[in-house]
Amino acid sequence: MAANIGILRRPVSTAGVWGWITTVDHKRIGILYGVTAFVFFLIGGIEALLMRVQLAQPDSEFVDAGTFNALFTMHGTTMVFMVVMPAGAAFFNFLVPLMIGARDVAFPRLNALSYWLFLFGAILMNFSFFKAAFPDVGWFGYAPLTTTPYTLSSSTDYWVLGLQVMGIGTTAAGFNFVITILNLRAPGMTLMRMPLFTWMTLIVSFLIIFAFPPLTIALTLLLFDRFFGTNFFDTVGAGADPLLWQHLFWIFGHPEVYILILPAMGIVSDILPTFSRKPLFGYTTVVFAGAVIAFLGFGVWAHHMFTTGLGAWATAAFAGATMAIGVPTGVKIFNWLATLWGGSLQFKTPLLFALGFISMFMLGGLSGVMHAAVPVDTQQQDTYFIVAHFHYVLFGGSIFGLTAGIYYWFPKMTGRMLSERLGKVHFWVMLIGFNMAFMPMHVLGVLGMPRRIYTYSADQNWAGLNLFVSVGAFVIAVSILLLIINVLRSVRKGEKAGMNPWAASTLEWAIPSPPPHYNFAVIPTVRSLHPLWDEEANAVEPPPLPAHGEPHMPSPSYWPIVVAFGVTMVCGGLLIWQASTWLGLAVIAVSGFIGMRGVYGWVFEPVAAEEHAEHAEHPERAPAHHA
Amino acid sequence: MAAESAHHEEHNHPGPRQYIVIGAILAGLTLIEFGVFYLQLDPALMTWIILVLSTSKFMLVVGYFMHLKFDDLRFSALFFSPFVIMITIAAVLMALFFNLTR
Amino acid sequence: MQYVTGIDDHRTSTGLDNRKLLMWAFLGSDVMFFGTLIGTHLIYRNRSLSGPQEEILSIPITTVSTFVLLMSSLAMVLALAAIQRGNMGGFRFWTVVVAVFGSIFIGFQMFEFAEFAHLGLTPRTNLFGSTFLVMTGFHGAHVTVGILWMWSLVFASFKGKIHQGNALQVEIAGLYWHFVDIVWIVIFGVVYLIGAYGAENRALESVEHAARAASLI
Repeated sequence: MAANIGILRRPVSTAGVWGWITTVDHKRIGILYGVTAFVFFLIGGIEALLMRVQLAQPDSEFVDAGTFNALFTMHGTTMVFMVVMPAGAAFFNFLVPLMIGARDVAFPRLNALSYWLFLFGAILMNFSFFKAAFPDVGWFGYAPLTTTPYTLSSSTDYWVLGLQVMGIGTTAAGFNFVITILNLRAPGMTLMRMPLFTWMTLIVSFLIIFAFPPLTIALTLLLFDRFFGTNFFDTVGAGADPLLWQHLFWIFGHPEVYILILPAMGIVSDILPTFSRKPLFGYTTVVFAGAVIAFLGFGVWAHHMFTTGLGAWATAAFAGATMAIGVPTGVKIFNWLATLWGGSLQFKTPLLFALGFISMFMLGGLSGVMHAAVPVDTQQQDTYFIVAHFHYVLFGGSIFGLTAGIYYWFPKMTGRMLSERLGKVHFWVMLIGFNMAFMPMHVLGVLGMPRRIYTYSADQNWAGLNLFVSVGAFVIAVSILLLIINVLRSVRKGEKAGMNPWAASTLEWAIPSPPPHYNFAVIPTVRSLHPLWDEEANAVEPPPLPAHGEPHMPSPSYWPIVVAFGVTMVCGGLLIWQASTWLGLAVIAVSGFIGMRGVYGWVFEPVAAEEHAEHAEHPERAPAHHA
Repeated sequence: MAAESAHHEEHNHPGPRQYIVIGAILAGLTLIEFGVFYLQLDPALMTWIILVLSTSKFMLVVGYFMHLKFDDLRFSALFFSPFVIMITIAAVLMALFFNLTR
Repeated sequence: MQYVTGIDDHRTSTGLDNRKLLMWAFLGSDVMFFGTLIGTHLIYRNRSLSGPQEEILSIPITTVSTFVLLMSSLAMVLALAAIQRGNMGGFRFWTVVVAVFGSIFIGFQMFEFAEFAHLGLTPRTNLFGSTFLVMTGFHGAHVTVGILWMWSLVFASFKGKIHQGNALQVEIAGLYWHFVDIVWIVIFGVVYLIGAYGAENRALESVEHAARAASLI
């Protein structure tokens, strides 16, 4: 069979660069996601700093208006799709199988495909910088602004196709984690014994698979308008509705907001009990609050569109639904506070960041409830007040939560502790810098400063606060530098972590740090929500390997990266097609063939490599089937 | 394991004869829909008739051909929950676009 | 927590097969996909400024192609029933029937699109052309993938890779095929029958309206 010929024989080695390229190990894929997300975090951060340099003084000519448009577009797109989502995916990948007592995800090769699609999509979008210019249509790319008459530059095509490729990868990951969490739990790990982070992953995965299709359609319609001259957003010539894109985008976009925040909520819900030395207050309520938030998230999209004139009834209904979401969110905050109440608090770095998350996210949540009141929203629409609000939610919420996760699980991922002293300095610098940068934006917004303007004049009296904000942005940059120093030092010289450095209660702490590639030598049997607290005596050391040796894991595979390459290059061919029809068609045909060949190779590939064939007489034993 | 579950399924699932009956019903419903199209009815009434007939066809295929009637309830939940979300969203969108909410 | 050896690695927590659960989750996601396409078509109804609209839909021809697609679904369950009984000949026969009927359906669709182009309706003509042709085009793409899948199953069965023991592979392909079928049931009912009902009168009215407006000028 073709899949066994030559270089595309199923690989065995996990060493070196090829080992990473062909890996199907969820822990390695998690690390790939994490490192990639961090690189894009630096890129998106530099874009933010450039904007802040420009806005630090009135009438500044540091960058021109067009460049500024590109900067805020790529800053937004990067931070949402290439930083917070993949950073969440990094934790899903590394932790979820460990937390539920599994050896890998349900479909390991599909998991690798998700990562490569994300990486290639992100590269495709950023490649526009070398071909034309960065996309400059805003991160939500409102049509008809993005249609051809108004945006001639091909940068928007890169934006559309890059998002599309990343979206396919994300949706595939969503399927994978739904099945993994539903199906691969260890014996006794009932749904209501799962750690909160796993629960939030499950909810986010459902949000992903149900919310991304509307985005896929919206992007496809825009793509057809730009490439093939259809009329979906042609308001002038064909009578299209200028609100169609806004509806489709926010039907995706509001669940997306919860895709960004729920992982951080899950991380914090797992960190608080560990450092309060008592179980999470109201576990069941927190789970259901998360589910209710996700469900209501599908019914509030039009609150992004209050100023478009939807009519009184619609506006009132969406305002009511939006305020209703405040209730389960408030429930969660009270549960977190009640968890801390009366606990023996250990103020380690992860707890500091978790507390930072709760307080900063709450501020962002409160200004969010303000926007639910339509008259207030009408005043604040498109001002810096909105910018302040979503940075309190996304930076003060998601980034603080994810950083807490980094400090908490870094020992599990690398086997070494991060420096506590440096970590605490990092926390305080980041908290101060964050509030310096974003708190004054509320005031600027109320003073009437619109978002997305590239400069302002001195007589508008915004200069002082803007300078203060810009200084704050650089303080944040310093804090990120501290994190980098901390990580680089600890990877080499950090204190050895041991299995369970925080004396935590969940399954991932019952195995060595870093975990062996098969995770659990013997699959654990779970009898409570806190297996390591309730029966600590059993968890001092990992179980010995069973007599027949290491468990068999699926072999690495070349096909995920081949398929991802084919899919991405079909999109690349479309871009070439605009410049040169025949070359473009040729690229589409060749990469389409590569993609299809990859799918067939994938489907008919044996689960284990030939060298292991004698062990593979029960191929259905491995977690992966024809995924 | 696989053979066992296959045997188990055979026990529950309808056989080829029943499938052919369902297929005939589907063809018949389509023919009725075709006929309704040529009756001079009130458009609202016609809309409801077609919706009912199409939903019946839909449920027959999902229930019998896709075995949801005999299969695990969790498959139904996984399939029908986005359905509820999508129909609600589509209904709201249509109300908004046809100016029913002003 | 304790470690009990000898647990079957192959069991799943829900007792449901991973791949079948994946297919149902995918179909749930695809509901949102087609729901958005059909929804977009519906909210753009009667908004086209010029060119042909729903009055050019041919109900008799589409009823025939709908019938063909429904019968392909019947063939699909018969193929599954055959392989579950170990009847490989029956399985191959019915699977080929599915692929052929699917191809006939695609043939009808290509004829329809060509006919529309002849009557002056392309995706670039007006809103109806854009929404209708992209929506039905995506459905056609789904059918095409299904046809490739059917032929792959038949060829794989000759290599011994599809047999009674893994009839689940056929069941999953069948779920996909039936889903494509029910999407068409919805499109046929909502877009064709309800959409085209009285469309000729509406078209005539708008022509008269335009004529009257022109005569006033």
